[in-house]
Amino acid sequence: MQAPDEELVALVVATKNPAAFGELVRRHQGVVRGMLHRMCRNHALADDLAQDTFIRAYEKIGSFQGTGSFKSWMCSIAYTEFLKSARKRKSTERVMEKFQTGVEDREAPRDMGSVVDLDRGLATLKEEERTLVVLCYSCGLSHSEAAEATGMPLGTVKSHVNRGRAKLQAFFQEAEVMAS
Amino acid sequence: MTMDDAFDQRLKAAFADAAAPMERESEADRFTKRVMDRLSNPDRKRVLILGGAGSTGSAIAGTQLEGLFGNLQLPADGLMANAAFLMSPEVMAAAAMALAVGMVAVVLPRRLV
Repeated sequence: MQAPDEELVALVVATKNPAAFGELVRRHQGVVRGMLHRMCRNHALADDLAQDTFIRAYEKIGSFQGTGSFKSWMCSIAYTEFLKSARKRKSTERVMEKFQTGVEDREAPRDMGSVVDLDRGLATLKEEERTLVVLCYSCGLSHSEAAEATGMPLGTVKSHVNRGRAKLQAFFQEAEVMAS
Repeated sequence: MTMDDAFDQRLKAAFADAAAPMERESEADRFTKRVMDRLSNPDRKRVLILGGAGSTGSAIAGTQLEGLFGNLQLPADGLMANAAFLMSPEVMAAAAMALAVGMVAVVLPRRLV
């Protein structure tokens, strides 16, 4: 099925067509799951949240205005599901600490292409920086789309992304120095 | 917009590599099937539990109604006397059951994630 996202959304809104929604899930599951995996760093939880994200999207698909891309709309729902999940565990900080225990921090990073090292680099960022770096670099959202998805002011988004990017660059430069 | 310099390209490539396993067709199909299964079968277990608990609670509370209304005697020694009649063990059991059913109905529909 090669129809654009907007056409599939219209089909789902009008007829609740399961095949059309399945195609939307298939197209965007990689972005949503990738985003949640990098933010949660717990694959089982990330996949559960990704499922919840698509169920929620199906329930409220009529509210998709089409002013932005469907992908950024999905990312905003995924971000909301992530925050809800974090709140249910009393505080986001506690959740992130729990997830961070899954990666051994003492070992020096080897290669930026390694998923573990990418996650280790992301773990050095503050939560907002990590979220916005993931939205912009993993999901491919523009700064304004990321601002819309998270509800943060555009200027704040830009500074978080720039700070996060600079920290990651320093992290991987240090890794290269240690490796050489 | 991101800066799009050499480091940006490396960063994007690293994220793409990390997401690659999820983009595989078999993995995408598997995930899509799980979502579609959940959509076609929305929380049947929760509905069954809620329905069962509600029905049981209602049945038990219903058997106590006779005690509630049977003890109601209008003006004999004033309203306080009637209130004392209303607090029979059957009424208290019915109230406790109604409270328990109400709590089940509030708690169970919440998602556990």
